[in-house]
Amino acid sequence: MGIVAAFHELDATVDAIEDLKRQKISDFEVYTPTPRHEIEEAVNPPQSPVRRFTLIGGLSGACFGYWIAIWTSDYWPLVVGGKAVASWVPYTIIGFEMMVLIGALSTVAGMFINSRVPKITMTVGFDPRFTHGHFGIWVPAAADRARAVEETMRRHGAEEVRHES
Amino acid sequence: MATTTIAPPRRTEELAPRPNVASANRQLPGVADYEQVDREIGGSLTPTAGWFGALGLAVAMFLWGAGTWTYQIYWGLGNAGYNPPVMWGVYIISFVFWVGIGHAGTLISAILYLFRAGFRTTIYRCAEAMTVFAVMTAGLFPIIHIGRPWKFFWLIPYPNWRLNWPNFKSPLVWDVFAISTYLTVSATFLYVGLVPDIAVLRDRATNPVKKRILAVMSLGWRNSEREWRHFARMYLFLAAFSTPLVLSVHSVVSFDFAMAITPGWHTTIFPPYFVAGAIFSGIGMVFTIIIPIRKFFRLQHYVTVNHLDAAAKLCLFTSMVVGCAYLVEFWVAWYSGNAFEQQYFYNRVFGQWWWAAWIMLTCNMIFPLSLFSQKLRRNPGWLFILSIFINLGMWFERFVIIVPSLSHEFEPWQWSSYLPSWVDISILVGSFGWFFMWFLLFIKQLPVIAIAEVKEIVPPRLRTSHPHADAIDVTGQHQAYEPDTPGEFA
Repeated sequence: MGIVAAFHELDATVDAIEDLKRQKISDFEVYTPTPRHEIEEAVNPPQSPVRRFTLIGGLSGACFGYWIAIWTSDYWPLVVGGKAVASWVPYTIIGFEMMVLIGALSTVAGMFINSRVPKITMTVGFDPRFTHGHFGIWVPAAADRARAVEETMRRHGAEEVRHES
Repeated sequence: MATTTIAPPRRTEELAPRPNVASANRQLPGVADYEQVDREIGGSLTPTAGWFGALGLAVAMFLWGAGTWTYQIYWGLGNAGYNPPVMWGVYIISFVFWVGIGHAGTLISAILYLFRAGFRTTIYRCAEAMTVFAVMTAGLFPIIHIGRPWKFFWLIPYPNWRLNWPNFKSPLVWDVFAISTYLTVSATFLYVGLVPDIAVLRDRATNPVKKRILAVMSLGWRNSEREWRHFARMYLFLAAFSTPLVLSVHSVVSFDFAMAITPGWHTTIFPPYFVAGAIFSGIGMVFTIIIPIRKFFRLQHYVTVNHLDAAAKLCLFTSMVVGCAYLVEFWVAWYSGNAFEQQYFYNRVFGQWWWAAWIMLTCNMIFPLSLFSQKLRRNPGWLFILSIFINLGMWFERFVIIVPSLSHEFEPWQWSSYLPSWVDISILVGSFGWFFMWFLLFIKQLPVIAIAEVKEIVPPRLRTSHPHADAIDVTGQHQAYEPDTPGEFA
């Protein structure tokens, strides 16, 4: 259970977030119709780990691309004029393409895993207005602190505050 | 000394109507708030009679092409206009043409994203969709070209029962890797960029079936700060991957030619030449598509003349790069002292294929020079006409690369001619029908302009006015409002 608040103004949302943080409340979720740096600065989240998925995926793809080309050449050698059976220059194309393919797909997978999408079931604390013009804050709160959270939201100009469970 | 006095900031609700001139802090003066973005871009999804007419025409063209392909499969590849030794004709020309068209999408969505070019915001979705459908179209042509399409899976690199793999030193195998990677990454880029916009449509939808479908497609996206944070990082890295991919794909396509010793093909200039040509042709097709869309969907205040102007400058630049490559080819042929190369290039411009070469040179080098004129860069009608010439010129560029080389190799007794048959032409027309059929279906199902990214450049609603939220442009001058043609002067 918790409190969901809808704001129409960006600065009101930022003020409410900062106030929540001053009250040592940090387990909240903010919704914005579009990414806003003001919100990110107020929330001050840790750096996204998606880049690690990119790095690991890209390196794995490049290794796989080179490996498959070299292994197949050695498995069935085409000996032509004493030239190298496995020649790394043309195989760089395979290595590069596999790096991009696996790296890009790993990056998307990293985003999905860290963002916790896809979401199969409906979750509480969301309002369809948050994909249009409204900003939103969802604060999971037990009954003892719900009143304080609700008051904070209203003080900062929330257009609507409601309890959800 | 004259001083400029700027009025103190006013409250948000007092700001309308604004001057319709872009300024440093307001790129889209005709767009007031987030709700307007949802309403207008979402509203463009309603089908109209004109859209049905265009779709009907595209489907008819596609069916004509599909029927002709069936005819060719039944009666054999001899019905295409191949005339030995010209065994690459309209199908390979069209393959290279459509792969090239597909390049502008990723250029605009990825490379311009990394360069922080603001004008990409409202046109990149169109360009990305164009990329995916163009590469889908390109992928058909090798299958048509092989004559026995039921054996197309031989193109896919996998071993036979004796574990004998395809030769990874072959440019045709590189092509399969490059094109399939490009199609996968471009389609992924398009889809993940669409997810937040599909969520907007999901929450606007009133039809329960449509709402359910959109809910599945949006993957439960909710616009949370957590989602945006990881999304932004992912988008950046996808753009970083796509940028060298764009450059590699047409380089690899050019290797199909440059690895052969055929006169006119065996040259190191081919990769940059092909990449520049691909981007140039892609921008031409973006104009062909986006200019009618902004007009018929009444989105002139989103895709503003400023955006077209900036894209036209890119078009002019790539045209000049392509033109430079044409001239360097001639120079290299002369400087090489190679009689075969010299003879081939003379034949290209003054011999057997002069007409095709001059269509190419006129459409790709001469007409785009008109874009040095700011007045023409800001004239959507001229840009549309020019884009048709660019499409024509770039198709003929590939004709000029492929056919004259094959018809005029080393041995004079081999010299030949080539004329596309009605089967070739019908399948080419069918490919345009196939491309536009998918594109037209796309633009009425999903937003043709990126809703979430447009909202990023629309000022958010504030309780207290933004310190710079005054109705002035970057020079500090108040500008006249143009209510009849919103966006036209922006």
